[in-house]
Amino acid sequence: MATENTAWQLEDFVDSLVVELDKTRETLAVKAINKPLSYTVKEVALDLNIFPSYDGDQISFITAQPGQEGASKVSIQLGSITDQQVRATSKTPSAKGDITIDEIDVDKSTKKKLRKLGVNSVDDLKEIEQKNVDLKKVSDNSIDYGALAKQIQKSKRDQNPPRVQAVSLSLDEDEKPCLVIKGDNLAIDPGFNPVAVINKKLAGVMSTSPKEVKISLDSDLTDNNEVILTFDPFAVMKVNVKTGTAVS
Amino acid sequence: MIDEAFMPFQQILAEMLAFDGEFSDEEAGVRSYITRYEIESPVELDIVKDENGSLRIGTTPPLYYVDTSFRPSFHKLRFTAEISRKANGN
Repeated sequence: MATENTAWQLEDFVDSLVVELDKTRETLAVKAINKPLSYTVKEVALDLNIFPSYDGDQISFITAQPGQEGASKVSIQLGSITDQQVRATSKTPSAKGDITIDEIDVDKSTKKKLRKLGVNSVDDLKEIEQKNVDLKKVSDNSIDYGALAKQIQKSKRDQNPPRVQAVSLSLDEDEKPCLVIKGDNLAIDPGFNPVAVINKKLAGVMSTSPKEVKISLDSDLTDNNEVILTFDPFAVMKVNVKTGTAVS
Repeated sequence: MIDEAFMPFQQILAEMLAFDGEFSDEEAGVRSYITRYEIESPVELDIVKDENGSLRIGTTPPLYYVDTSFRPSFHKLRFTAEISRKANGN
């Protein structure tokens, strides 16, 4: 007698079933090496007695337990397909660096709507945009691509946050004092001019690059200085600069 | 953990496939083999989640043959196997 049954999603069940079937095929392939007569599994079907439930978000199933009557029946049939058919019917695996919908900071209902439209990653979204599909129309005005694009940018930036490695005082070409911030992933958005505020006063940003940002110093630094850097709308950093040393 | 009375799904398929599908009568000089067979069987299932959150499908043919008022839930398993290589190695 098994322990109490666990609720499961159809997708997880099919995934496990496919894994089990692959293991069977591997076993049979080994057996075929020594045995001249061997068999391959062509089709597997399971008729399951289950009770479905819907929690408002997703449907889960629980297999009927002994003595339980009135269960629904779900039939799952796995057939053999060739590798060519797999290529023709399957999506290309996600590229390295692709962001899944789960990683984007949008509400649950938008994620759910996107999944219903077959959008599971940022690359899927880009593909839809390239084909000039109006997401607003297909989602009954509930998905705004502009807002979504911002969230995607934010998620991408979260994966590559700015890192300050060193802050130093220097002199520019005109021998005027300037603050040099060195690090990684600093000013990476070419469409945005970074903004610097030193001790609550706006400071001029002289030059920017992903590795270095130079800020002009119009007034003298004090012993302890607060430098707020906005590299782009999704990367704001506060650095405390003590004269002589820097702590980020 | 799958209940110990149950075996992983792949095992039940492998067990059902573990037979010699060749029949020969040397005197008559006849050799026959099964080319395809289909099995349909009631099974009991034990579906559990492992520590990684993956589902483990445990299955077994009916465990008890005593007719009781409190009957297990029998699911149905069907599968088809076909010969992959003939006796002459082709």
